[in-house]
Amino acid sequence: MSTLVTLLRLPRGPDPNGRGFDPNSTRFVALCPTTISASTETWTDSVEVGEEQRARSALRESFLRTLIAMTNKQVQFHMYERVEVEARFGASDIDVLNFQVSELQTPIGVQKEALLRCQDVISYSFDL
Amino acid sequence: MILTSQSETKVSMAMRQTPLTCSGHTRPVVDLAFSGITPYGYFLISACKDGKPMLRQGDTGDWIGTFLGHKGAVWGATLNNEATKAATAAADFTAKVWDAVTGDEVLTLAHKHIVKSVNFTQDSSCLLTGGNDKIIRIYDLNKPEAEPQEITGHTSAIKKALWCNNDTQILSAADDKTVRLWDRNSTEVVKQLSFDMSVSSMEYIPDGEVLVITYGKTIAFYNALSLDMIKTVDAPASIHSASLHPDKDFFVAGGDDFKLYKFDYGTKEELESYKGHFGPVHCVRFSPDGELYASGSEDGTLRLWQTAVGKTYGLWKCVLPGEFSCLIPNE
Repeated sequence: MSTLVTLLRLPRGPDPNGRGFDPNSTRFVALCPTTISASTETWTDSVEVGEEQRARSALRESFLRTLIAMTNKQVQFHMYERVEVEARFGASDIDVLNFQVSELQTPIGVQKEALLRCQDVISYSFDL
Repeated sequence: MILTSQSETKVSMAMRQTPLTCSGHTRPVVDLAFSGITPYGYFLISACKDGKPMLRQGDTGDWIGTFLGHKGAVWGATLNNEATKAATAAADFTAKVWDAVTGDEVLTLAHKHIVKSVNFTQDSSCLLTGGNDKIIRIYDLNKPEAEPQEITGHTSAIKKALWCNNDTQILSAADDKTVRLWDRNSTEVVKQLSFDMSVSSMEYIPDGEVLVITYGKTIAFYNALSLDMIKTVDAPASIHSASLHPDKDFFVAGGDDFKLYKFDYGTKEELESYKGHFGPVHCVRFSPDGELYASGSEDGTLRLWQTAVGKTYGLWKCVLPGEFSCLIPNE
C-alpha cells in the first residue's frame, strides 16, 4: 500500500497585480542599496534625506495627478521608432506598464480601443 | 492535500512521489536553471514561451517575481551563483541581464537573430550568448557597450553555450549535430564531437568535469575536459533533457512521453518513473543541494520532485506511521 507524501502547503503562485520582487523581503532589504543618494554615503544628515524624500514625494504626487488630469483628454504620444500617435487617454495600470487609450490614431487607421506599452513611450503631452 | 494515517499494520510504507506544481506560466516552459546556494537559500529561474521568465524560491517553488521586458518567447534563462543577477535569451533577438533582487532590467544586448542560450562566468563578469545566428558571443558586463568577442564555426543554430574548465573554455551544442569545445582566448576549437542527430540538451557539472548530453533516447556522459565518453544510457522514450545528481549517484531525464525517469548512474538501471506532466518535458535540473529536481514542460508548469521521496524538506513533510495528519493548503 503506498501513501502520498504530505505537503505543508502548495507553492505560492504569481501575484496577478504586480511583478513581484517584494521590497520588504529579507533578501531585498539586505542586498538592495537604497536609491536615496543622500543616504548611500553614510546616514549622516537626516535633514538631507528628509528633503530628498520630500522632493520625491512631491514629484510622485504630481505625476499621479497628471494621470488623473489626462483622463478622457486627447494626448499625443511620442514613441520609439519615430512613432507619433494621438489618442484619448483612459487609464494606467498600477505599475504604469500599460496605458489604456481610445480612438488611437495610427497611420493605418483609427483603433477604437488599445493598450500602449509604457516602455515604448518616450514622452507624451496634452493640454490641461 | 488531506491525508489520514494508516491503521497500525505496517511500519515500512511505500511513499508515492508528490510533485509540487508551480503554475503561472501560460505557455510551454522551455528552460530552467538553479542558482548556487546563497545565504537566502537557492533560487530557480524558468524560461517560457510567454516571454515572461519567472524567479522562484528553489526549495519551495514559491513565486518571487517575473522579469518583464522581453517581446518574444524566452528560450534560455540563467542565474549567477549568488542569485543577484539573471540573464535571459529570447526570440526578440535580445539577451537581457536583470537584477535578480529588484527584478529590474539592467542591460539589453541586441543580436541579429533569436538568442537561445545565456551563461554567466563564475564571477558574473562575463556573459556567454548563443543562438540562431550561429555565433557564440562573450560580453564583458563591466564594459557592456564594448563589442563582444565572437566565436564562429558552427554551421547551424546554437542550442546551448556553457562556460567550462574554470571559465577558460566554452562548450557549445548546435543543430549541426556537433558539440564543440573552444578555447576562450584563442577562440579556436579544441575538440569536437559529432552525432547522428541533433543534441537536445547539455549540462555541465564543474565538480568532476562531467558533461551530460542528450540526443534521441540516449543520455550520454562525457569527460568535459577531454570529451572522452564515460557511458551512455538509453531511456524508454525520446529524451529532451537530463541532469546528474551532485553526488553522481543518480540522474534524471524527461522527454516526449511526459514522464520523469530516475536512473542509477553507476549501474545504469532505471529506478523510477513518474507521471505528472500533461505535455513533453523540456528541461530538468537537480537543485544545488541535490534534494530535489525541477522539470519544465510543454504544459506550462514547473514541477519539483523529491530525490528521496518521503523526506522532510521544503514543503514536503515526512509522516510517520501512526501519525494523524490533516493538512489543507491554505492558499
